Amino acid sequence: MDRLQRAAILTELMDQLHRHGSWCGETHVQKAVYFLQEILGVPTAFEYILYKYGPYSFDLAEDLTALRADYLIEFDHRSPGYGPALVPTRWSSELRSRYPKTLDKYRQAIQSVAQALGSKDVKELEKLATALYVTRQLGDPSDTESRARRLCELKPHVRLEDARAAVEEFDRIAAEAKAADGGQIHE
Amino acid sequence: MSKHFHEIRDPIHGFVRLDSDERKVLDSRPFQRLRHIHQLGMTYLLYPAATHKRFEHSLGVMELAGRVFDIVTNPARITDAIRRELPELSQPDKLGYWRRVLRMAALCHDMGHLPFSHAAEEELLPKDWNHERLTHQIILLKEMEQIWNWITPPLRAVDIVKLALGPREMEGEPFSPWEAVLSEIIVGDSFGVDRMDYLLRDSHHIGVAYGRFDHFRLIDTLRILLTDSGPALGVEEGGLHSAEALLLARYYMYTQVYFHPIRRIYDIFLRDFLVAWLPNRQFATDLETHLSLTDNQVLVAIQEASQDPGKPGHEAARRIVSHEHFKVLYARHPDDVKVNPEAGAAVAAGAQEKFGTDNVRRDAYKQKRSTTLFPILLRDGRIVDSGKLSEVLVHLPVVDIDFIYIRPDLLQAATDWLRENRDSIIKAEQEE
Repeated sequence: MDRLQRAAILTELMDQLHRHGSWCGETHVQKAVYFLQEILGVPTAFEYILYKYGPYSFDLAEDLTALRADYLIEFDHRSPGYGPALVPTRWSSELRSRYPKTLDKYRQAIQSVAQALGSKDVKELEKLATALYVTRQLGDPSDTESRARRLCELKPHVRLEDARAAVEEFDRIAAEAKAADGGQIHE
Repeated sequence: MSKHFHEIRDPIHGFVRLDSDERKVLDSRPFQRLRHIHQLGMTYLLYPAATHKRFEHSLGVMELAGRVFDIVTNPARITDAIRRELPELSQPDKLGYWRRVLRMAALCHDMGHLPFSHAAEEELLPKDWNHERLTHQIILLKEMEQIWNWITPPLRAVDIVKLALGPREMEGEPFSPWEAVLSEIIVGDSFGVDRMDYLLRDSHHIGVAYGRFDHFRLIDTLRILLTDSGPALGVEEGGLHSAEALLLARYYMYTQVYFHPIRRIYDIFLRDFLVAWLPNRQFATDLETHLSLTDNQVLVAIQEASQDPGKPGHEAARRIVSHEHFKVLYARHPDDVKVNPEAGAAVAAGAQEKFGTDNVRRDAYKQKRSTTLFPILLRDGRIVDSGKLSEVLVHLPVVDIDFIYIRPDLLQAATDWLRENRDSIIKAEQEE
């Protein structure tokens, strides 16, 4: 996948997040791309590490800066949270119109993730994305309790009952997203 | 153990003060090598006084790191919320340990630089290597480990590495919130002292005013503040204008100095020369070879190659020595990027096809991270992000350069060719 195909996917995801109620700050995009990539296999190929508030990709942060440099997104500083909202521009619509095959291939996956995560706030996204991180770390299948405990080890400020709830919600979101995407993992 | 303090005169900070343990690092082989690594590569070909070295910059970064640490850990400047997030702030022993680690990390942060600093790094190291990874290896060297172990209490080398490089360069290594904030003091995108020192120092030596800002006021207003993404370095409301001045200085220094097209074409010729001159066309990553190679050997080799057509890299060396650089044919234009984000690549490909690969060079760079987002502590105690308060930062552009160069004698023909074919060259294609 080249950088312009990735730009088309990222800006489509931002549009879908806005449509599903997200104010679409960087954290929302970071966590949504993590789900898109790790659950639905969309090959954006970003390296994620466990950072201050959950899985985070410095590569993706660089790509977002590049999208601004290329006039494909802009900041809206009237956001309700910390940091600006990321808003795709009309130039991004033109770019996406040149990548119909790429978007047709991944649109369902993008919509599934945006629908599942669009209404979540930053704290909820941190727990869900970390639940995904520990699920991948411990291997599939692994039981709810061991994943919840691992999540609490990584994020000591999260209570065990909240971690359990996050792991269960993650399992439900992952199953629904895969079902909505036709149950297929893209390669 | 008694501590003797040493003072070194510095044009930016007046004096840099260091203790006897830090003096051991200063006297070490990896640090002394930095006396022979130009801070700004071959920028002196364009700005003649830009001959300062990584050595004095590293001392300056240590000096500023200590000052920032003392400000942001001052109990009067810490809120209860931050104290709960960072318990280290309430433990004097730990604070003392981490202050030493921070200053050592600042001192060592550039030890892995190759000859001529960044100018020659890309494409000249094996895959997955960069100067940060070399810095990492050097801090772990036995001769450095002896220094860390000599100190009471001993310093953990891995702590020094983490603060010197930050989480971006240490993927896979977990950072506690405390370690993340301390590394931000050195390498942070907004208020890292590495950047503060090089902006001030480079503008001083080059003789331009762009890089100056009120760093005394800025450092005095820095605070650790709690944001949605954890504790981060921010400023009190009263420091906002100094922060804006720093980020404007960065923008102007990048666009006017670091990415000046003539400076960048010399980097390209230096890289061409090194590819031809180095064994296996790359720098070695074994530390003995790395530590023995400085700008001095490379300069001698360039001089020799420039005079002998039989030597590897002759053409690039000749162009550097005789100042016969390629000329700018095309520079990034916003209207072109809106039509096709890869406009520069399209122009380069077309020019190479028309005038020959060897006669065309491209230099493209995009700013990697946003520098303008940081927390601000308002006078009423609320914390907001900088975009909510600063009209200046909201409008600061992302640094993005894209230059296409051509051999000087082909410039007129290439300019005519580009003028006649510009629209068709830049036009974006539908995906296949």
